[in-house]
Amino acid sequence: MKVSVRDMETKKTEQQRPGIVSWFRDNWGNNALFSTIFALVVMILIQCVIMYANAGSIPGMFEKMGMAWLNILRNNAYQGVIALGMCFIIISGGIDLSVGSMLCALGAILMYLVAPGTGLLAKIGLSGPFAYVVAIIIVIAAGYLFGQINGTLIAYGKLPPFIATLGMMKIFRSVTQQLTKHFNPTIPNDFKLIASLKIGNQVILPIIYWVVIVVIMHIIFTRTAFGRQTIAIGSNERAAKLSGINVNKVKRNIYALGGVMCAVAAVIYIARIGSMDFANAGNGYEMDAIAAVIVGGTAMSGGRGSLVGAFFGMLIIGVMNNILNTVGVPTFLCDAVKGLIIIFAVLVQKKETA
Amino acid sequence: MDKICKSFGANNVLQSVNFSLGTGEICALLGENGAGKSTLMNILGGVLPADSGSISLDGKPVSFTSPVDSLDAGIGFIHQELNLINDLTIYENMFLTHLPKKGLFLDARTMRSKTQELFNKMSIELDPSTMVRDLDASYKQIVEICRALMQDASVIIMDEPTTSLTEPEIQRVFTMMRSLKEQGVGIIFISHKLGEVMEICDRYTVLRDGNMVASGKVSETDPKQLATHMVGHEVVTDTAQRKTDYGEEMLRLEHLSDGVNFHDISLSVRRGEVLGVTGLLGDGRSELFQTVFGAMNTKYTGQIFLEGKPVHMKNTYQALAAGIAYLPRNRKENAILKDMSILDNGSLVHLPKIRRGVLIDFAKQERLFAQQEESLRIKMGDKYDLITSLSGGNQQKVVLAKWLMSDPKVLILDNPTQGVDVGAKEEIYAIIRRLSEEGVAIVVLSSEAQEIIRVCDRSIVLFHGREVGEVTGEEMNEHTIMYLATGGNQNESERA
Repeated sequence: MKVSVRDMETKKTEQQRPGIVSWFRDNWGNNALFSTIFALVVMILIQCVIMYANAGSIPGMFEKMGMAWLNILRNNAYQGVIALGMCFIIISGGIDLSVGSMLCALGAILMYLVAPGTGLLAKIGLSGPFAYVVAIIIVIAAGYLFGQINGTLIAYGKLPPFIATLGMMKIFRSVTQQLTKHFNPTIPNDFKLIASLKIGNQVILPIIYWVVIVVIMHIIFTRTAFGRQTIAIGSNERAAKLSGINVNKVKRNIYALGGVMCAVAAVIYIARIGSMDFANAGNGYEMDAIAAVIVGGTAMSGGRGSLVGAFFGMLIIGVMNNILNTVGVPTFLCDAVKGLIIIFAVLVQKKETA
Repeated sequence: MDKICKSFGANNVLQSVNFSLGTGEICALLGENGAGKSTLMNILGGVLPADSGSISLDGKPVSFTSPVDSLDAGIGFIHQELNLINDLTIYENMFLTHLPKKGLFLDARTMRSKTQELFNKMSIELDPSTMVRDLDASYKQIVEICRALMQDASVIIMDEPTTSLTEPEIQRVFTMMRSLKEQGVGIIFISHKLGEVMEICDRYTVLRDGNMVASGKVSETDPKQLATHMVGHEVVTDTAQRKTDYGEEMLRLEHLSDGVNFHDISLSVRRGEVLGVTGLLGDGRSELFQTVFGAMNTKYTGQIFLEGKPVHMKNTYQALAAGIAYLPRNRKENAILKDMSILDNGSLVHLPKIRRGVLIDFAKQERLFAQQEESLRIKMGDKYDLITSLSGGNQQKVVLAKWLMSDPKVLILDNPTQGVDVGAKEEIYAIIRRLSEEGVAIVVLSSEAQEIIRVCDRSIVLFHGREVGEVTGEEMNEHTIMYLATGGNQNESERA
């Protein structure tokens, strides 16, 4: 190997050039959330164009956009809450396939508790708001317990998360269906107010719940030792263990948190929809949640991710569904577009790490 | 390589560095951690782009945008961490980048015969069909070198190839390097072990803070001079002052055995004492102290006493709560959280205690870390940068900071200076001495006899999981330690 003298000055000046392009490139490369937000903004702009074409005027566009967004936020609230739990789990390097079935099981428990007349709480003489509070607390406790089962299998049984939660997914679904065979509950109308009470003439409570939970979960993730330990486990489990972290306990709690999110989602679901089809409710929610988490910039390999990203990820999927519906894409093809978005999101992620 | 410059943010890692290598020459690239060695080699290996400057190969200017470009140009880069696939055979690993095919299927016969041919040429006695997992570290290194040769490499970069090797294994790799040299291959040898440099290299280049500070023929220099170039000032390498007035006993092991890795080990460490535990590869010292730290999930017999009270560590957080800290070996696999910042890495252990209500007290976290940063003299950019932006020595200091923040009573250091340069090594030794004066009971596990002599008051030598001797004072010299560690006295007693 011989040596020659030649400076590549051109390369240096290119890097020093300020401006929007380099700002953009910098953020795109260094900030995983940036590409998610960028994708969301692009989606919204496309949506604007379509709405304008439909409405024919600027005020009409805004009105249609408003309606569309209320729907997007309302209809994705319970899935969005599940995605937050999923996000925690994926950052820790795991996965939870049981969330959809768990939602269904928890929904069944909730209905069993609050059903007017025949419900458990009615039988012991509880009714009205107090009964609902008790029911919600019980359901959340049940969600916590279900999550603990997942977590225990994974942390202490040393099962791969995929296997453990796949098993639990089947168990939750089938047991729920068996137990609810002769059970045809209804929901008290005032229970539905939990989600459908109108504020300013609009149903926005699910949205408020969702956003509040996003904020709480974001704080847990970024500002507690538990959040840091979650990242540590996802990043290097062995190093986390050798740093004196009680890895098994933290893992169990991560899945328990996922279970609590399912319970909250179940409450919102029942209150909003007012019934539940135990054979199908929650089917495929695990995939939607995983999709939202990934589109939100969280790495499947664990260690890196963002709860806010999972929120935006859910919105991206919601806006996309809205656009596809408005444009009139056949229902069967909607999932194909979803699939493309997920693949695209991971392709972009890969470039960032390379 | 000419006038290579590279900076990460405001951090100028390389400032107009020139480097050259002739045919059939072994050139040592020396420097402390963070001096820019790895960056320079990563530029040559196509892993990183240079900000400015040029590279030419055989007189022709070249530019690499990816490791593949560099490989195609005949530059083989053997990284510190080996890149072999354990579950494949040697010959499959050799051809991993371009697997030869016969029709639809792999042409195993060609692969095997070509590998055998190369092994014969290099006089390596290995069966190409051996699974890589069955090889020891030196043979893995050799296979990796052969792989580079298979791809017609004319330049081979070896980044600290000897850190995880034992002495006979190192000699094996050196023999290989010498025969490569005869065949006209140029080798760039990155190492912290100056003795090895003196033994194997023809020329040397020393980098310090991104500048080339010295270069010349190895035959015209000596290790002391090289060390001075690397550090920039005289290196003090005399042995530590040995104290005798230790405090009360902190940790005692009685007849500890796990039936596999270590057998019937009894030892004790006092407050303020530095105990060395040494031996060769496979002596079981890491397993022994991981058991003490509760990190092994195996059953053991015997007893562990902490401050005179019998304890049974079932897991690491129990040990942590009891005041035991364990700095593991193999930083990358066992200690570094690559996705987390320097600050978070440095405060992870103590994090659950740094809080206001349920939330982390960020101000306190930064304050505690700043204390450690100052007392350990950690050289770093922003504390929110990823830990991986630091050099090995500074990463190790951050890992140490993580433990010191929890104020341990017993500090177990497993290979504390692995992949750390001379200057940082000295700093770590100084830190160990200082901590012992502050009353911490310290156990240093190391296979480097020099390190044990340099820093420990007393040392226990293990051989295949058994205690074969204890050395102190005058007895504690390289000769005695090596004699014991190789099972010297065992052989004698067998003969008798």
